[in-house]
Amino acid sequence: MRRLFIILGFIASILAVILSVTPLFKIAFIPAIAALVFGLIAFYLSRQKQYPKKSIQLIFLLTIISLTMTTYKTIFTVAEVGDVEGLELKERESEEKAIEELEDLNLDDINMDDTSNPMETDTMSL
Amino acid sequence: MKHLFLLFSFFIYFLVSGQNSAIGSNEKLIFSASYNMSGLLTEIAQVTMETSEVKTTNNTLLKLKCSAATYSSFDNYFKIRDLYESYVSPSTLVPYLYKRDINEGNYYKFEQYKYSHKSKTVSSTMKKKKTEQNKTVKIGANTRDIVSTIYNIRNLDFSSLNPNDTKSFAFLFDNEELIINVKYLRKETINTNLGKKECYKLSVTLKNDDALKGTNENVIWLTADGNKLPVYAKFKIAVGTGELKLKSATGLKNK
Repeated sequence: MRRLFIILGFIASILAVILSVTPLFKIAFIPAIAALVFGLIAFYLSRQKQYPKKSIQLIFLLTIISLTMTTYKTIFTVAEVGDVEGLELKERESEEKAIEELEDLNLDDINMDDTSNPMETDTMSL
Repeated sequence: MKHLFLLFSFFIYFLVSGQNSAIGSNEKLIFSASYNMSGLLTEIAQVTMETSEVKTTNNTLLKLKCSAATYSSFDNYFKIRDLYESYVSPSTLVPYLYKRDINEGNYYKFEQYKYSHKSKTVSSTMKKKKTEQNKTVKIGANTRDIVSTIYNIRNLDFSSLNPNDTKSFAFLFDNEELIINVKYLRKETINTNLGKKECYKLSVTLKNDDALKGTNENVIWLTADGNKLPVYAKFKIAVGTGELKLKSATGLKNK
C-alpha cells in the first residue's frame, strides 16, 4: 500500500514538474496537489511502520519545485502575442489580390441580393 | 387584396431583417481564447475580428477579417497564424469573396471561394503545401461563408424571437455546405471586460458535422444592445472547455 502511494506520488510530482515548464503550466496545479496528497498518505503509512522516508521527501521536493514555478509563472507571466509581422504582411498582400479579383467579379449581384436576402435559411420553434 | 398585403408584409420583413444594423465599417474586437480545465484558465491565443471598407473601381465592399495568433509562450510549441477574410456587401453582408489562410504548426492550407450568387455556384481554390485543387461547388440561395455567417448572427432581430426559437444558417466550409443552428435561450446579465452587460444567450450546434459537441454546451453571449457584441463564448471540446472572452471593442456602429 505504502509502495503504491509512493509510485503514484512520484508519477504525479514528475508530471507536475514537466507541466510547470510548458505553457500549460496552470494545469500543473492538479498533479502537484495529487502528489502532495499521495506523499502525505505515504508519509503517514511509513511513520506507522517505521519505514525510511527518503523517497517521500523527494516527492515533496519535486512537488514544491513545481508549485513554486507554477505560482511564479501564474503571477508574473503576461499573455502577449508574438511576432505577427508576417501575418500583417500576408493580410496586406491578400487585400491587394482581393481587390484585383473583385474588379473582375460581376458585382451587379449586390443589388439583387439587397432586396431578397433573408440571412437565415429557416426558423423553427423547439 | 389580403394576399397582396401579406406578400408586401413579408417583403418588408425580409428587407428589414436582411439589413446590417449592428456592424460598423471600422470595428475592431479583440478576444482572448483560453482553455479551461477544472477552472484553471490558460490563455492560448488572441483572436481579432475587424471590419474595414474596401473600394474597387465601381463598388465599396465591407471586409470582414478574423485572425488568430497564439501567444508568444505557445509559439515554440504550436504556432498558429490564421487569417480568415470575407468581402461582403456592406448593407446585407452577402459575401463575394472569401479567403482562408491557415498556418497551424507545420500544417498549411489556403482556401478561396468566389461567390456567383446569380448562378448559385462558388469557384473554389484549395491549396496545401504540395497540392492545389480548383472546383466549382453548387450552393443554396442563402449559403454564405463562415466569417459572414458569424457577423450575420449579430444581425438577428431578437425582438421577434422567443426563447428556444432556432435560426439556421448555411455556410460553405472545406467545400462542404454546413448548417449552423442558433438557438436563442434567454436574456442573461453577465460580467464582462466591458462591465456588467445584459446579453442574449445563444446555443450553437452544427447540423451535419460533429465539430461542436454536446447540446446547449456551445454558448455565445451577445450584448442586448444595438451592437450585439459577442462578449463571451464557451465551447465544449474533448477535455475541458474552450472560452473566448472579449478584451476590447473599438469603432462600434451604435454608441
